[in-house]
Amino acid sequence: MDEHRATLEKIAPSIEEAIAEGLEELGLTEDQVEIEVLDEGQTGLFGIGNRQARVRIAVKEEGADDEPQQRRRQPREASPLDDDVDNTLEIARATVAELLERMDINAEVDAHMGEADDDDRHEAPIIVDVNGSDLSILIGRRAETLNALQYITRLIVGKELGRSTHLIVDVEGYRMRRERSLRQMAQKMARQAVRSGRRQSLEPMSPAERRIIHIELRDNADVYTESEGEDPRRKVVIIPN
Amino acid sequence: MKDLIDYIARSLVDDPTQVQVRQRGGRNNVDINLEVAKEDMGRVIGKRGRVANAMRMLLRVAAAREGKRANLEIVEPD
Repeated sequence: MDEHRATLEKIAPSIEEAIAEGLEELGLTEDQVEIEVLDEGQTGLFGIGNRQARVRIAVKEEGADDEPQQRRRQPREASPLDDDVDNTLEIARATVAELLERMDINAEVDAHMGEADDDDRHEAPIIVDVNGSDLSILIGRRAETLNALQYITRLIVGKELGRSTHLIVDVEGYRMRRERSLRQMAQKMARQAVRSGRRQSLEPMSPAERRIIHIELRDNADVYTESEGEDPRRKVVIIPN
Repeated sequence: MKDLIDYIARSLVDDPTQVQVRQRGGRNNVDINLEVAKEDMGRVIGKRGRVANAMRMLLRVAAAREGKRANLEIVEPD
């Protein structure tokens, strides 16, 4: 079956663009494909040494036969907690919808439970997905607007539930894409650190983004990671062991 | 714009009855005044102004939809 899988290689200035172009070409969404980053590309200082990003996109088997997407969902066993969870999700969804309505933004809002981090620091997050057309105004420069929306939503939902919640607001899959490309970059830079025997500095990142890198490389025995500098220029350094 | 701030403030304070939002506006610039009970000031301002700044960020989007700029002031009741 594997040899029938359609694959496509895409080259673009960034991983995100390469993926977006590939998906558009295939007419598929991200959850219907498997993406492998072949080359992250590189942005050289002053444009010197720029290299384009290269990804390979493989159609997942489920996507290949016309199985309706719903069938992939496993039926969940009912538990007494389900009502609580449903209630929390609805409060989160409704809060974001109310905010967007008053910002005169037309979008579809859904909420679901995410997976708990494997570092035990956080419970499973509530994820509120916002989808629609032309929502870049909701993300803003360095996701500032998106983070403001998430912060206000967290406060309102926390107040309503009487406890603080781990809640993530995502717009057009921005956070998911960003997280994936950060993980891939972490792996690539770790390999580079090992190969060259030299420490590799990453670009400055927010605390949440730096955390993604640290966690991604935590179990890598060949390197360790540290953060250096002061916010907002603080960055992760990958050091070979 | 006024509705947005009104909704956020009422959702965050302990005493929603004392939330008052006034909007005064010119063609391009709109001033929004938010008044809450003294005890609720901290809830709409936040540590180092974090809540107020997040509200300003969202207000900016709402204002931009109408082609305007908005300014948010948070005032204590007399």
